[in-house]
Amino acid sequence: MNEEFKIAWRNLWRNRRRTMITAASIFFAVFFAVIMRSYQLGSYDHMINNLLESFTGYIQVQQVKYQDNPLIDNSFDYNDSIVAAISEIDRVVSVTPHLESFALASSGTQTKGAAIIAIDPEKEKNFSDPENKLVKYRITDEAISRLKDAGTIPDNVLEKVKKNPGRSYSSTARLELDLGLTDEENENFMPEILKCAEVSNGYLANDDQGILVSDRLASYLKVAIGDTVILMGQGYHGVSATGIFPVRGIIKMPSPEIDNKLILMTIPAAQKFFDAEGKITALVVNLTDKSNRTIKTAKTRINALLSDKDTVAKTWYELNPVLYQQIQGDSQSGQAMLGVLYFIIFFGIFGTVLMMVSERKREFGVLVAIGMQKKKLQRIVTIEMMWLGAIGLVCGLLASVPLILFFYYHPIVLKGDLGNMMAEWGWDAVMPTAWFGSYFYWQAVIVALMVLLATLYPIRKIGLLKEIEALKG
Amino acid sequence: MKIIELKNVNKVYNSTEVKVHAVNDVTLDFAEAEFAAIVGPSGSGKTTLLNMIGGLDMPTSGEIIIDGTNLSKLKSSQLIDFRLNNIGFVFQSYNLVPVLTAKENVEFIMTLQKWPEKEKDERTLELLKAVGLGDRINSRPTKLSGGQQQRVAVARALASRPKFVLADEPTANLDSKAATTLLEIMERLNHESKITFIFSTHDPRVVKMAHRVITLEDGKVVSDVKLE
Repeated sequence: MNEEFKIAWRNLWRNRRRTMITAASIFFAVFFAVIMRSYQLGSYDHMINNLLESFTGYIQVQQVKYQDNPLIDNSFDYNDSIVAAISEIDRVVSVTPHLESFALASSGTQTKGAAIIAIDPEKEKNFSDPENKLVKYRITDEAISRLKDAGTIPDNVLEKVKKNPGRSYSSTARLELDLGLTDEENENFMPEILKCAEVSNGYLANDDQGILVSDRLASYLKVAIGDTVILMGQGYHGVSATGIFPVRGIIKMPSPEIDNKLILMTIPAAQKFFDAEGKITALVVNLTDKSNRTIKTAKTRINALLSDKDTVAKTWYELNPVLYQQIQGDSQSGQAMLGVLYFIIFFGIFGTVLMMVSERKREFGVLVAIGMQKKKLQRIVTIEMMWLGAIGLVCGLLASVPLILFFYYHPIVLKGDLGNMMAEWGWDAVMPTAWFGSYFYWQAVIVALMVLLATLYPIRKIGLLKEIEALKG
Repeated sequence: MKIIELKNVNKVYNSTEVKVHAVNDVTLDFAEAEFAAIVGPSGSGKTTLLNMIGGLDMPTSGEIIIDGTNLSKLKSSQLIDFRLNNIGFVFQSYNLVPVLTAKENVEFIMTLQKWPEKEKDERTLELLKAVGLGDRINSRPTKLSGGQQQRVAVARALASRPKFVLADEPTANLDSKAATTLLEIMERLNHESKITFIFSTHDPRVVKMAHRVITLEDGKVVSDVKLE
């Protein structure tokens, strides 16, 4: 067997240039396929994290009519025991009650429709974690003036800060990303920038009667912490709902669409406001594992626990069919692109195989004539082709690793029209790569299959080889 | 003792227009340690006859029996193994494996025969020394002259300890000096190891050194002369 590997390896380098070109074509195919797929899956993950892990959840328990008619009338009774039972199900991370509705939010002369989500402030920390989304830094004119006055920030860094006027940040990571400072600049000047841009903020207590307002909505309503917002809407079974709520904090939602309209309050405050005593509209369930199998299993087990026949568990893709179909469609078109890429590369490999068989027909004849079994010769040719595939594959995968790692931790921030378009769709305009997963290993399988498929030709030719004809060349 | 018997061997090629009788009712036998040349003009059937004796081609009719084995009765894979263990080949254009060194080319046959490493090494060196290439064992074929390559091919043909060696015009591509050296080596090996050598050739130098000369014309044996 060692002899076969040795001969196959040496055969590979008979025509060094051709081998390099073929290996390079496999390298580029694998490299681009991995990067493309990583970006695609990374953006889905990002989208899912944005919209599902902090908003919809993977599964929701709802009143059966709520999805088609999302009114507070289609709410159901909150029951601690069912929450406890669902929490016991394998792979459930959190079960969080929500009471969701709409109201007009008004302050001074400004009025805007707002999505009201009532939460349990403590339990919500395990789900969307709004406390972590509280605005901590804001690039205001005052903050820029303070930075100027401090005199420790160089002009080029100050210019970068000025390019983000009015922006709010709930984390230093996003601020660093937007400013685009070098590592050295970050280390030297970020503490001063953070100090000048820092804002105070507050969270909800469990029995709080105040609200958290999303950053863009707060800007529109021109409210700050300590101001009040008047909410007007329709309560349970048509009662009029009005109330005045103090602003406890400003939160920054990653999705601009949500950031334009969100108000959070406690469930008791919302039940009182909507006159919906003891009611909620959803139990939001988050899972450890995003696979369809886990989601379906959890859904089945939750449905089995629900004694109230008016309530039902629905998966995130049942709740967001358009988004799900968008992801599926986009994923399939991405796979089709990769298919085309690999199809082209396959013919490159096949071309090499054709040339190799044509050039070595006589040699194959000699080897069989002097006593080499055809099966052994077929094995050598297969090993040779697998070497070729492995060189391109391993180099392609290795070259993609640093890029995937870099863009996983430093995602591309989309600006201009594309960034705005994504923002309009409600997506955070960054493009991270996906962490290494099955998509990465699948490239090895695809390349191996392509090479094996191409190798069928010489295998067949050797099988049908007639020594006397082959020896004539 | 007969090691090769040909009984009424015929080879007919059916082209679309005419039938070509390449070998016509040939009956011959070869004994152990013969040094025989098959001669004749181009198209007389020398190479076809040699190919059939080597099991590379099958007769249309007749029998070829080697050391008691009728080649026509063997399956393709059995025939390959039979060639490996009983027949050595020397081709006109050397046909060494280009990616292997001289030593590896000679060893190759023994590797196929699964010889132990130590014995394989010893025999390879012994053979390469015998053909005068003890100092070129690690050279690849492209670094060797035509005569040297053909000597490696002879060493390779002998490596498996075959019952006989078939050489199809072995000196055709060699200059006079290289051809003489090769023939002397083959004659010495024939004499020392008692291995039968059968050549097809046009070369009068080969004919001169042969102990038996078989002349073919139009596929028929027209003379079979044993020389002393």
